Amino acid sequence: MAAVRYTSVLCALLVCGCGGESGRSAGGTVAIAAGSDPGTFIPALAQTTTAAEILDMVYDRLADIGDSLNIVGDHGFTPRLADRWTWSRDSLSIAFHLNPNAKWHDGQPVRSSDVRFTIATTKDSSLAAPTASVITNIDSVSTPDSATAVFWFHARSPQQFYDAVFQNPIIPEHVWKDVAPASWRASEQAKNPIGSGRYRFVRWIPSVAVELAADTANYRGAPRIRRLIWSIAPDFNTLLTRFLGGEIDVFENLRPENVAAVQKQHLGVKLNPYLSYSFMTFNLRNPANHDRPHPLFGNRDLRRALTMAVDRPAIVRAAFDTLALPALGPTVRAYPSTDPKIPQIPYDLAAARKLLDSLGWRVSGRDSIRVRNDRPLRFSISVPATSALRIKLAVLIQEQLRQAGVQVDVEQLTLPAIIDKAGKHTFDAIIGQWNTQPSPGGVRGSWGIASSRANGNNWGSYESPTFDAYVDSAVNSFDAGRQRQYFTKAYETINNDAPAIWLAEPRQIFGYHSRLQLAPMRADAWWAHLPDWSIPADKRIGRDSIPPTAAATTAPAESAGKKTR
Amino acid sequence: MLRYFARRLGQAAIIVAIVAAITFLLIHLAPGDPFSAILDNPNVSEKVRLTLRAQYGLDRPFAEQFFRYVNALAHGELGWSFSHDQPVSEVLATALPNTLLLMSVALVGSFVLGIFVALVQVARRGTFTDQALSGITLFFFSMPDFWLGLLALLAFTYWLPIFPVGGTVDPVMHEFLGFGARIMDRLRHLALPSLTLILLASASVARFQRAALLDVLPADYIRTARLKGLTERQILRRHVLRNALLPIITLIGLSFPALLTGAFFIEKIFAWQGMGYAVVNAIGSRDYQLVVGGVIIGSIMVTVGSLLADLLYAWADPRLRGH
Repeated sequence: MAAVRYTSVLCALLVCGCGGESGRSAGGTVAIAAGSDPGTFIPALAQTTTAAEILDMVYDRLADIGDSLNIVGDHGFTPRLADRWTWSRDSLSIAFHLNPNAKWHDGQPVRSSDVRFTIATTKDSSLAAPTASVITNIDSVSTPDSATAVFWFHARSPQQFYDAVFQNPIIPEHVWKDVAPASWRASEQAKNPIGSGRYRFVRWIPSVAVELAADTANYRGAPRIRRLIWSIAPDFNTLLTRFLGGEIDVFENLRPENVAAVQKQHLGVKLNPYLSYSFMTFNLRNPANHDRPHPLFGNRDLRRALTMAVDRPAIVRAAFDTLALPALGPTVRAYPSTDPKIPQIPYDLAAARKLLDSLGWRVSGRDSIRVRNDRPLRFSISVPATSALRIKLAVLIQEQLRQAGVQVDVEQLTLPAIIDKAGKHTFDAIIGQWNTQPSPGGVRGSWGIASSRANGNNWGSYESPTFDAYVDSAVNSFDAGRQRQYFTKAYETINNDAPAIWLAEPRQIFGYHSRLQLAPMRADAWWAHLPDWSIPADKRIGRDSIPPTAAATTAPAESAGKKTR
Repeated sequence: MLRYFARRLGQAAIIVAIVAAITFLLIHLAPGDPFSAILDNPNVSEKVRLTLRAQYGLDRPFAEQFFRYVNALAHGELGWSFSHDQPVSEVLATALPNTLLLMSVALVGSFVLGIFVALVQVARRGTFTDQALSGITLFFFSMPDFWLGLLALLAFTYWLPIFPVGGTVDPVMHEFLGFGARIMDRLRHLALPSLTLILLASASVARFQRAALLDVLPADYIRTARLKGLTERQILRRHVLRNALLPIITLIGLSFPALLTGAFFIEKIFAWQGMGYAVVNAIGSRDYQLVVGGVIIGSIMVTVGSLLADLLYAWADPRLRGH
């Protein structure tokens, strides 16, 4: 068998060597760096970036968001499983008409009952799907015929189309119907996904690799790259060395300090906009007693003074060089609704010192640290010990605040310990980073009142009815211009309250093998157009010559989710 | 002999149980839980987290969780790995052969190399070669395993890229290679982690064995052998080495836990998908049951290794058989 496979590789080499037009345009393998195992192949339960990348290749949505990331109405959305859709007169329902050629990878046709099943199970509380909370506006899905799925909504909303399609890759009912949602994670189906996307699942060797092969009979056409491999290693340096050594073609999140080494190896580097911002959040509640305000950060003026004492552009330059911009607030520039001129608290060390003086925090005696009622102006910043970048940001802030008479201790902890502290609110300040979704309304989950009171991800317990009201108005606005105005007001409100120092909006530093011809990249998902990448025939290397059929035909013989050799 | 064997097995079982209980306690005391990663996502609601914790029994009191785990263990179940979404037994069954392969190669390699170095040193005792080898073995003896691993990684995968960076096989090409090429692929991936472990472990073997050989040299029967006219090489091989090998059996028993813990770090550095790799990653992701399962299997391996060494020692030394 091994000999047969080896022979087939040689045959493929020969075929590639004298291939015609089609041979030049389609073929090749892309090996992608993966920092973790995917965990699960159930779209509603996926949590890792690796899983998101793989699942977006294997499963299809009814429609996909456009490169502009517009989420109001259906402008910019492109057909996927649904080749067209019709809005009802009152906009309380949308009928999606399925592409009659769409098929699951096991050959069964995609039916409207699959769509209904997907939504019903995602909303099932026993599945505990994280996406359930963002599709609460969907009441139900009806299926007047096998090719039409009608979404019914509780209320008209600017992003109801986005909610319906973006959060819900469609899964096959015939594969899942006999498994109770609570048992999905442990099921065999979860390790052997059957989707309708342009790539079909071949195998997963835990902690080693995941392999997909092109679905050459796909209703949307065969992708150009015939084989995708995610090469898994949790250690960043291991992955980086694999990339520099040519074992991996794509490294999606290089660090600024890696760029020179990558360019020296004649590998490509591309900077992409990214839906991510870093910040240093203050804890507004007392770590010892959550019902009381924090002895320092409960005071808005003190937070403003500290923000004023930090030269954010200088910090971003020192930590990222030109590979990031100072963050504007709890948002990113890639959102169409973000105004890049949102007012900021300016860097002004003299004004910061004056404000601290006026608050009673004065420098006394030989010590340069400010004191009030014998209490020094001192706090700690918690950072994950595994993130050199966040440690660097913390040290830079420490030095800048020292000049204002503030003593800062940098506390390095493991990531679970940081998250534990954040969840229990037992910290002074934390340097964090949110990777957001295309909907700017997600800001409520990290800075809104409801999130603070439900022990959600509003770690610092910032509560502002004004901020919430502006965000609600923005999210419910059908007019893009008004939406932008409301979001600007919301960001202005939170910036003035200074519950956090907004640090950086990093750009994604995307490393790739120079033989790859890339397609445009979306800010929320660099892989969105991966099926349209190509490798010119004259630039192909050994791994590009493995025939996709050989990869695909190994699938039934392998036991998915188990090491096969 | 049977009573001795049964008593040692009983002791081993108690040790494994205590180690498992301490590990269970310590990993639960560490901040965070298996769903910490989900917490780090602004779109996950508290309700989802509570549901997940309830589904896996993490909302129950610690004592209840412990007794549930012990009960499952008594039924032969090692639990569920949250990070792999697989039974712990399946994760470890995949990883264990890789660890055993690495450890076996390291064990055999380190003893062969260590004994050889010791023989050379004793044959040329007091010379520059002896002193140089003493210095080299001391260097490797005192070097932390992770440091040597990182140096080897840097030297042979980046500066002089002759070995792959990590993993047990090439994930992209391995499936499509012929039989011989597959073996070569596996050997290339095995080279750096096993070489690192061999260098570290052989240093202590060499130092230990050199001392044992020097202890035997002044014995009367060695003098007799010399008087019989045997060459120095014949004396070393037939008389000195054979009699100095007995302490090596003890060293094998002692090396087993050292190699296993060393392999944990080395596996992590070289992304060698063995038990250590799985357990170290599980600690980071607070995958409680995988950590405890890994520690149980590890402690069984260590206690069985020690037991085998003791039995081997008793078998090899006739003076101990009566005891």
